[in-house]
Amino acid sequence: MTAEPEPVEEQINGETAVANGADDADVVTPWTVKTSSATGIDYDKLIAKFGCRKLESDLITRLEALIEKPAHPMLRRGLFFAHRDLARILDLAEKKKPFFLYTGRGPSSGSLHLGHLIPFMFTKWLQDAFDVPLIVQITDDEKFLWRDIPLDKLGEIANGNIKDIISVGFDPRKTFIFKNTEYMCPAFYNNILKVWKVVTINQARAIFGFVGEDSMGKSAFPAIEAAPCFATSFPHIFGNKKNIPCLIPCAIDQDPYFRMTRDAAPRLKYEKPALIYSTFLPALQGAQSKMAGSDQNSCIFLNDTPNQIKNKINKYAFSGGQATTEEHRRLGGNCDVDSSFQFLRFFEEDDDKLAEIRQRYESGDMLSGELKKEAITIVQRVIGDLQARRKTVTDADVVEFARVKPLDFTF
Amino acid sequence: MLRRGLFFAHRDLARILDLAEKKKPFFLYTGRGPSSGSLHLGHLIPFMFTKWLQDAFDVPLIVQITDDEKFLWRDIPLDKLGEIANGNIKDIISVGFDPRKTFIFKNTEYMCPAFYNNILKVWKVVTINQARAIFGFVGEDSMGKSAFPAIEAAPCFATSFPHIFGNKKNIPCLIPCAIDQDPYFRMTRDAAPRLKYEKPALIYSTFLPALQGAQSKMAGSDQNSCIFLNDTPNQIKNKINKYAFSGGQATTEEHRRLGGNCDVDSSFQFLRFFEEDDDKLAEIRQRYESGDMLSGELKKEAITIVQRVIGDLQARRKTVTDADVVEFARVKPLDFTF
Repeated sequence: MTAEPEPVEEQINGETAVANGADDADVVTPWTVKTSSATGIDYDKLIAKFGCRKLESDLITRLEALIEKPAHPMLRRGLFFAHRDLARILDLAEKKKPFFLYTGRGPSSGSLHLGHLIPFMFTKWLQDAFDVPLIVQITDDEKFLWRDIPLDKLGEIANGNIKDIISVGFDPRKTFIFKNTEYMCPAFYNNILKVWKVVTINQARAIFGFVGEDSMGKSAFPAIEAAPCFATSFPHIFGNKKNIPCLIPCAIDQDPYFRMTRDAAPRLKYEKPALIYSTFLPALQGAQSKMAGSDQNSCIFLNDTPNQIKNKINKYAFSGGQATTEEHRRLGGNCDVDSSFQFLRFFEEDDDKLAEIRQRYESGDMLSGELKKEAITIVQRVIGDLQARRKTVTDADVVEFARVKPLDFTF
Repeated sequence: MLRRGLFFAHRDLARILDLAEKKKPFFLYTGRGPSSGSLHLGHLIPFMFTKWLQDAFDVPLIVQITDDEKFLWRDIPLDKLGEIANGNIKDIISVGFDPRKTFIFKNTEYMCPAFYNNILKVWKVVTINQARAIFGFVGEDSMGKSAFPAIEAAPCFATSFPHIFGNKKNIPCLIPCAIDQDPYFRMTRDAAPRLKYEKPALIYSTFLPALQGAQSKMAGSDQNSCIFLNDTPNQIKNKINKYAFSGGQATTEEHRRLGGNCDVDSSFQFLRFFEEDDDKLAEIRQRYESGDMLSGELKKEAITIVQRVIGDLQARRKTVTDADVVEFARVKPLDFTF
C-alpha cells in the first residue's frame, strides 16, 4: 500500500463511518478482506467503524416470537452479527406488511465454496421463515469491469454459479435470480439513473476509494448494485408498488454499497434498505483471511468429494491444539483460533453438542484429530446435501429463475 | 450546406466514401437531448442535413434521444422528460424521416442487454482521469454525469442494435452533429480499436448564429434568438425584422455608398443555410455589399425563405401522431439487409 489517505469521517444520515482509519489492522472492502489477527476480523470494531448496529439478543428473541420457531444457529451464535434497521423489518412482518429479500453474487469461475454458500443458506432460511420474495443479483457486469474476462465467458461462469446457488434449495416461484447484463431494462435503468443523480463523484471516491486510473465503469457500478433495493426495479414482481422495503443478508464487506444506498433512498422518496451482516467464514489456514476461491486450499468447495473434504481439513485446517498430545491434555486447545471448531459453529445446530465439544477441547479431553473428525463429518454432510440437489439442477432451471414473470406473491 | 462550409469539418469521411463506392454498408447516427418547447432552426439543421445524407446514400439512421442525460444534468423528473422527448421526436419526424429506415429511441426506453453490453465495454476502457480531461467533470458532479459519455458512445457500434444489424459487428457509422459533441466521439474513436470495433466517422456543422448576431448560437432559452418550428409566419417576420442583426450601414445614404457586410448579417446567414441556388445567393451578396440592396430588402428575402422552410416542416408536423413516435421506436428490422 502506498501513502495512507487521510482518515475521512463520513456523516451519512447520522450513521458515522470512518473511512480509511489509519490505525486499523483490519481491511474490509468489497475487494479486499484481511487482518493480521489470528482470531480474525475484529467485528465489534468493524461495527463501530461502519456505524451499523450489533445484532442483540432482544431482536433475535423478537424474531423467534414472530416466526414461531428457534432462530437459525448462525443467528444465535453471532455469525450474523450486525444489522441496519432490522427492527423496522420485524415491525412490518408483525403487521403482516410486505418486504422482500435481496442478495447477490459476483460470478467467479469454479464451484462456489462454503464461504459463498453460507449467506445463501441463511437467506433461504429467512425466506422460508417469513415467506417473502427473494431477488438475487448476479453482477456479471461488475466482474467484467474489474477483471479481464470477456462478457460471454462471464455468462458461462455465471450460469455455473447460479446452478450452485439454486442447489441451496430456492423455489423459482418465489425467487428471481438474474444477471445484470441480461435483466438490464427500463425499470432497472430508471433506478440506476436516480441513484447516479444523487451521489457525487467525491462521495463515491470517499466510499469506494476510486482513483483516477480506475475506469469510468467502476465508478458507475455502485448504482447498479443499489438499484435492486427498490421494488420499482422489478415491476413484473411488485407491480406499481413503490415502497416495499428490502432486507439484505450479505457479508459485511458489501456495506459501502448500502451505506451509499441508504443515504440516497430518502432523496429518491424510497424506503432505505435494511441489512443483516454475516461474518466471514475463516480460511482453513486460519482466521487472518477469509476463504478465497483463488486459494484452493483455503476453501471447501461445493464440488469437493468427501475424500477431498477429509484431506483438506486434516491437512490444512488450522489447529488450535497444542504441539504435543501431552501438552494438549494438560493445557487444552483454543477453540477461537481453531478452523475445525469454526465449521461446527456455523453448521452444528445442536447448541448443547457444540458446547460439549468446546468444553472437551478446551479442557484437553478432546484431541485435535477428533475435533477435525467432527468437522469433517458435518462438512461432508452439508456439502453432500447440496451436491445431491446440484445434480438435479439444469440449464432450464437457470432460465426459469431468470424469467421475467410474476412470483407467487400479490401486493 | 456542404458546399458553403456549413458542414465544415470531419473525421474519416473519406473512409465512409470508400465504403459507399464499394457498395459496403454504413449507417448514420445522430441524436438530441430533449428540451421543452419546439425545436428551433439551430436544432433542425443537423437533422435536415442528415435526412439529405440518408436519402443520398440510402442507409439506416439511428437517432438517440438522451432523456437520461437531461435527467442527470437538469432538475426535471423522468416522466416529464418522456413527454418533452415525445414532442421533440415529433418535431424531428417532421423533417421527413421514414420509420422503415430510421430508429428513433429514448435511452430510458431502449435500454437493453445489447445496448448495455457496449456501454460496459466503453466504460471499461476509459479511465476516470481521461473522462475528467475530456469532459471536465469535477468532484461535485454526480456519478451519473461521469457514467453518461459511454451511453452516447454505444450507438456508434452496430452490435448495440441487433434487431437492425443482426450479428454484424463492423458496420461503421457516420455521425452528422454540431461540433460541440466532438468530445464524446474523440473518446469513442480512442476506445473503438481496443474494443475491436470500427471508429465512428464524423461530419461537423457550425452553429446557426443567434438572430442578434454571431457572437452566440441560437439558444432555446432566449426566445428572440431563435426561429422555432412552431413560429407563425407573422412571428417569423417580426423576429427577423426586429431582432435580426443587420450588417447594413446606419443610414440609407451611407449604405448606398459603403454597402453592407454580409458576414455579420444574420439575415444573410439564413440565406447561406437555405437558399439552394448558388447564383441567386451570389447575386444577393453582390447587391448588398455594393449597397444596391438595402437591409430591409435583405430581411425580406430571409423572411420569405425561412417562412417557407418552417412552413414545410409545420405541414408535416401536423400529420405526426403519437403512434408515429411509437413506430419509430419499435424494436423491429429496418428495410435493409446486411
